[in-house]
Amino acid sequence: MILAGRETGVIVTGATGRQGLFHIQLMNEYAREVGGVGVVAGVTPGKGGKEAAGVPVYDSIRAALKEHDADASVIFVPAGAAGDSIMESAANGLSLVVAITEHIPVHDTMQALAYARLCGSTVIGPNCPGLLSPGEAKLGIMPAQLATPGPVGVVSRSGTLTYEIVDELTRAGIGQSTVVGIGGDPVIGSTFTDILARFEKDPATKAVVLVGEVGGALEQEGAASTTLPLVAYVAGVSAPPDKRMGHAGAIVEGGEGDARSKIRALEAMGVTVASRPSEIPALVRSLV
Amino acid sequence: MKLREHEGKRIFADAGIPVPAGRVVQSVDELDDLSSFGDRVVLKAQVDVGGRGKAGGVVICGVDEAPARAAELFSKTIKGLAVSELLVEECLSIAHEYYCAVLIDRSTRQPVVLFTEAGGVEIEETARQDPDRIRRFDISPLLTELPAFAVRDLVGPAPKALGPVVSALYRVFLEKDALLAEINPLVVLDDGRVFAADAKVIVDDNAIARQGFRQNRDLTEREAEAERHGFSYVELDGEIGVVGNGAGLTMATLDLIEHYGLRAANFLDVGGGADRERVAHAVRLLAGSPGVRVIIVNLLGGITRCDEVAQGIIDAGVSQRVIVRMAGTNEAEGRALLTEHGYEMYDSMDRAVGAAAEVKV
Repeated sequence: MILAGRETGVIVTGATGRQGLFHIQLMNEYAREVGGVGVVAGVTPGKGGKEAAGVPVYDSIRAALKEHDADASVIFVPAGAAGDSIMESAANGLSLVVAITEHIPVHDTMQALAYARLCGSTVIGPNCPGLLSPGEAKLGIMPAQLATPGPVGVVSRSGTLTYEIVDELTRAGIGQSTVVGIGGDPVIGSTFTDILARFEKDPATKAVVLVGEVGGALEQEGAASTTLPLVAYVAGVSAPPDKRMGHAGAIVEGGEGDARSKIRALEAMGVTVASRPSEIPALVRSLV
Repeated sequence: MKLREHEGKRIFADAGIPVPAGRVVQSVDELDDLSSFGDRVVLKAQVDVGGRGKAGGVVICGVDEAPARAAELFSKTIKGLAVSELLVEECLSIAHEYYCAVLIDRSTRQPVVLFTEAGGVEIEETARQDPDRIRRFDISPLLTELPAFAVRDLVGPAPKALGPVVSALYRVFLEKDALLAEINPLVVLDDGRVFAADAKVIVDDNAIARQGFRQNRDLTEREAEAERHGFSYVELDGEIGVVGNGAGLTMATLDLIEHYGLRAANFLDVGGGADRERVAHAVRLLAGSPGVRVIIVNLLGGITRCDEVAQGIIDAGVSQRVIVRMAGTNEAEGRALLTEHGYEMYDSMDRAVGAAAEVKV
C-alpha cells in the first residue's frame, strides 16, 4: 500500500457540487467498510457552515484545518479554479493532493505543480480517477467493488481502462496493493517513475501493472527506473498517427510517442507487454 | 487548436516580433494590386499540415506571375486538404535561418525553450543527427519572463537582435496558453533585420474559451453533432461503430477490433455519466454513418446504471446489429431488458468484439 491508508484524513474541495457530494458519500461508505478515517471535511468558498453528504463544509482549507486533522485533499473544483485549489492544499501543508478535475488549462497545471513541489506536497493528477488501496483507503472515484487486496500494484494514465484491468485481475484471483490513476493530461503531478519509486519501497507490492497510452515517453522512463517485475499494456496501437506537435515535440521527446514505438521500446528493456487487457493476469502470474 | 500561419503572425506582431508584410486572400481576384510588395512575392497555402513547403504549398514568384501561380495553388490539395486561403508576403532576402520554439516537456513538467542556428526544413534531421546543435533552457513556470542570462545562453554567438524575439516568443507562449509557439525559420536578412518567416502556435483546447478564440476546424455534420453532445469523436474508415466511456477504454476497444481483423468506423467516447439519453444519441450518431455494419457499445464504470444504458440502446432502435458489453450497477436488469429486445450482451470486451468477428472467445 502506498500514498494513503486507513489513518489518512481527507478534505474534499468542490464539496457541494454534484460530483463532490456523490463521491464524498462513496468515499465515506468505503472508509466505514474498512474502518478508515475517510473524508473529514468539505470546502467550498461561500458555503461554510453547510453540510455535504454528512460532513461539515468550510469556506477554506485553512478554516477546515482549524477544526479537523487532515493529510490529503481530493479536488472536484471546476477546471478554471482547480489550479488554485491545488495550490491552496499545498500552501496549507497537505502532503497529498489528488486532483480529479479534467480540462484544467495546462499552464494552470504547470504553475500549480511547481508551487506544490516548493511546498513539499505530492500531487496525483489532474484529470485522474485517484487512488484505491483495497481494504485500506479510497481517495477519488474508482469503483471499489472491482478491486480486492493483494500483491500487485497498478499504475495507469487511464480511467475506465484501469477499472477494466483491475476487474480482469480480480476475476483471475489476483489482488491489488494500490491502484493509482496518474491522469491523462500532458502534464501530471506524479509520473510512472514517481509512483514506481513508492511501489519499490512497499513490501506488500511484488509486481506492477503499468497501463500507458499514446503520447510522450513517461512509460519508458518509468520502466527504466524500477527493479520490480512489470507487465505493461499500451492502448492505441490502432490509432492513426497523431497530429504532431510541430518539429519541437519530436526534438524534445526524441520519438513519435505512438503506441507501437512505445511497445518496442518497453520490450527492448525486457518489459513484458500484453497485447490486450485480458492477457494481463496470466502474464502477471508468470512473473510472480 | 492549431492556429493558421497568418493568425500566429498577427499574435507575433502584437507581441513585438517582426513579421513580413503580407495579407490573406481567399481568391485570385484579390491579387490585383501587389505593387507594395516589390518585384517578388511569396504565396503560402494556409493549410493545417506540417511539411507544407516540401508538398508544394509555398511558391516564390515575380509579382506579374502571382495571379497565375495563386490560381494553381487554389486548385491544389496539399496532403489531402483543399487550399481556401493564401498568405501573400513580401519576399525576403535571407542571410541565415534560425529556429526557436517554446513548448512543454512532459518529463520535467515545465516549459522548455529551444534555439538553434540550424533552422529550416531539415530541423528534425538536425535534432536526430546533431542534437548538441540545439540549445535548450528549461524554465520554471513560476517565472513570467525568460531571465536575461537564459536568452544570452540560447542565442549564443547568433546576432544579438534575435534576443528580443526569443523573450517575446516566451511571453506569447505564456499569455496565449500555448502548447507550442514555434518560429521556423526565424530569419536574419542581408541587411541585418530579423523576421519570423513562419508561425506555428498551438493553443491549449482547455484554454480556448478564456483566450476568446473560436474553434477554426471545419467539422463534418456528424463531428458537429458529436461536439454538441460533448462526445469525443473521431471518424475512421472501417465498418464497426464503437461507443465507449473513457478515452483509454475506447482506444483499447479499437485495438481489440484490429486484433480480431476488423476495422473500426470511429472512436466515440461518451465521457462520464453515460445515461439513457446520451447513449441513445451516441448509438444513433454511429448508425447514421455510412458503412457502419455493427455497433459495439463498451461501457464500464462503478456508477454506470446498466438498465439506463440498455434503455438508451432500445430507444435508439437502430437497424444495425448492436453488441453490448457493460458492467456496473443493475447489470442483471440491463441484461434482461436487452435480451427481451433481442440485443446481445457480453460480460467481457474480448467476447463482445469476438462476437462481432464471429470468433468464439
